[in-house]
Amino acid sequence: MKKRIFVLLICVFLLLSFTGFSSEDNELVVYHWWTAGGEKVSIDALFEAFLEEYPEYEIVENPVGGGGGGIMRSQIKTMIMAGNPPDTFQITYGNGMIRSFVSVLQPIDDYIQDFNVPQEVMDWGTIEGNMYGVPLNIMQNNCLWYNIDIVEEVGVEMPIKTREELFQACEKIKEAGYVPIAVGAGMGQSFWLGTLFEAIVSSYPDGGQVLRDYYAGDAYPSECSVIKKALNVMADLNNKGFINSDFSALTWDQAGQMLTAGKAAFFVMGDWTKGLFDASGAKPNVDYGYQSFPGSDGYFVGHADCFVLPKGIESEVSKKWLKFLTTKEAETVFCPLKGATPPRLDAPVEGIYDEVSIEIMDKFRDAEVLKVLSQFGAPPESYLSLFGTAFSEFMVESEVNESTLENFDLTYEEVFLY
Amino acid sequence: MKKKMELLFFLLPVIVLVALFVYGFIGWSFYTSQTDWKVIGETGKYVGFENYKILFSRDRTFKKALFNTLKLSAIFIGCTIPLGLILAILLDLDIVAKKAFRIVFLLPLSFSFVASASMWFWMFSPEIGVINSFLKLLGLGFLEQPWITSGDQSVFCIAVAYIWQFSGFATLVYYAGISGVSEDIREAARIDGATRFQEYWRIVIPMQKPATLTVLVILLMYSLKVFDLVWLMTGGGPGKSSEVLSTFMYKTTFSRNFFGRGAAIGIIMFIVSLIIILPFFIRRGESDYE
Repeated sequence: MKKRIFVLLICVFLLLSFTGFSSEDNELVVYHWWTAGGEKVSIDALFEAFLEEYPEYEIVENPVGGGGGGIMRSQIKTMIMAGNPPDTFQITYGNGMIRSFVSVLQPIDDYIQDFNVPQEVMDWGTIEGNMYGVPLNIMQNNCLWYNIDIVEEVGVEMPIKTREELFQACEKIKEAGYVPIAVGAGMGQSFWLGTLFEAIVSSYPDGGQVLRDYYAGDAYPSECSVIKKALNVMADLNNKGFINSDFSALTWDQAGQMLTAGKAAFFVMGDWTKGLFDASGAKPNVDYGYQSFPGSDGYFVGHADCFVLPKGIESEVSKKWLKFLTTKEAETVFCPLKGATPPRLDAPVEGIYDEVSIEIMDKFRDAEVLKVLSQFGAPPESYLSLFGTAFSEFMVESEVNESTLENFDLTYEEVFLY
Repeated sequence: MKKKMELLFFLLPVIVLVALFVYGFIGWSFYTSQTDWKVIGETGKYVGFENYKILFSRDRTFKKALFNTLKLSAIFIGCTIPLGLILAILLDLDIVAKKAFRIVFLLPLSFSFVASASMWFWMFSPEIGVINSFLKLLGLGFLEQPWITSGDQSVFCIAVAYIWQFSGFATLVYYAGISGVSEDIREAARIDGATRFQEYWRIVIPMQKPATLTVLVILLMYSLKVFDLVWLMTGGGPGKSSEVLSTFMYKTTFSRNFFGRGAAIGIIMFIVSLIIILPFFIRRGESDYE
């Protein structure tokens, strides 16, 4: 009798192991990488708002943190290849990133009627005439955050206008015993060095266009004077000791916390940093300040996060979800908590966002400011990993010579040619 | 005959599953490694051994990853085996609190790789890590090192964490081996006037060949496919300084979408493991037969 039960149990386990788990009709299976801090609070609020609008549905959330979304994207790829995609998932919004997934996505043009966003933003998500993602939050990448107490103590006048002034400020800050610029590019997140790099490129007069060409595969590092100059600036910052020596052991948020802890004066990072600072209790324009990276006022280097619709997903709930994301209501629930700019030009602002967010939003809505898609959206997905490694390698030697440029060129070919 | 059929009936599911999920997928990976598969949801076209050619000629990271894998294995095994043997001998001697020490030596083995990687990551952190802080506290600040943030030291740091985690396993196997040495032989040696050192050096240690082989093969298998500790401690960096084959395979496949080339790296890992480990298995099989 016992034997029979044992054999029966084994058979049941074997059968179960072959069973796939698919979502029910009233369930929305969502994958995203917002697992902590302000990001988690904002996505939770968004889910709540969706369920208020559509109480008949249920959300099955699968947050996968780590690696700036890289871990989640890996998981999604295996799910898609196994023929079991979720109803919707998050990726960064931009032609390059979307192109890496486009073979498994459905166009979503039908669900984005009356979506009042700048044409550039529509273009970022359009491939061969079709839109593939609903952008939820616009983020500026070329930001310089500063600790107000430190810059006042040292006597640095803000905002800093040029790179030369930045170097002078760093010198003073270092002499006063603080880390001038906090960088965190460890734990497999070396792509954050790319954020510093693109901020520096955008500080040159034609930097915005250079970045566009560079991310389109049209500007080899060794042949582009602005890229070479920017690499030299990065090397100088490192060689002069203006960057914390343990940058390759810290994550971006640990580096950001150096600023709020009063150890570092500057932090070059996207505006999602605001969420991190606010969560730690720091107050905008009291404890920390914001400006665009010195010299880059004319450019808004940015990207967005978006949700997409995988091929084969026909459920009503996923379509309703995408439609919901295009609304002012969804953006107004999500963006203030996330510390981001709503993509819609008619999204309400008054009394909802703080001064720093409004300053960033004004820049985004200013038609004179050239919008440049950042490394997270413009180049193919492989850029982040390959150039992250290349920048990290470059920071070990920190010298722009024939060999390092050749390394960048070969990496560039790997991203854009092969 | 009926008994044989019954046996076959019960073995058949296992045979089918192993054939499908182990050997079938090795075959599938080998086929994938010969395609230019780069697009999610598609399978790419057949390109022969092009991916292997690229890895050995054009790919600058692959050679570094292969070298690092072998370097890490050499440091790891070169230190873990003697350490395990010494600890096992210490346990065999009548030391005070023997049971407590046995637990202490074996404890790291029960830690998950994620937990030990996080712990060692923080210990090796140059600014706030325990090791540098301790050196400073002792007035030995001049000995402070950049540890995991240095291209020259990152592999060494990972090896230390790996040795710490696996020395307990080596100790356990050697302790079992030493306990298996007949007391008669050891007593005979002692009657013949052998010192404690001679007893171990001439009798106990030479009889640990089977244990050494077991430890060696198992440690090699772990070190050739090491992923967790490297991924969590350095992510393969700084630069490519601690990139190993498994982290490189993961990045190539999932971060860069070169699925075909990623499969080729997997197959190369499989072949390297076979080349290194198979002779030990063959020798072991022969000695078992003898």
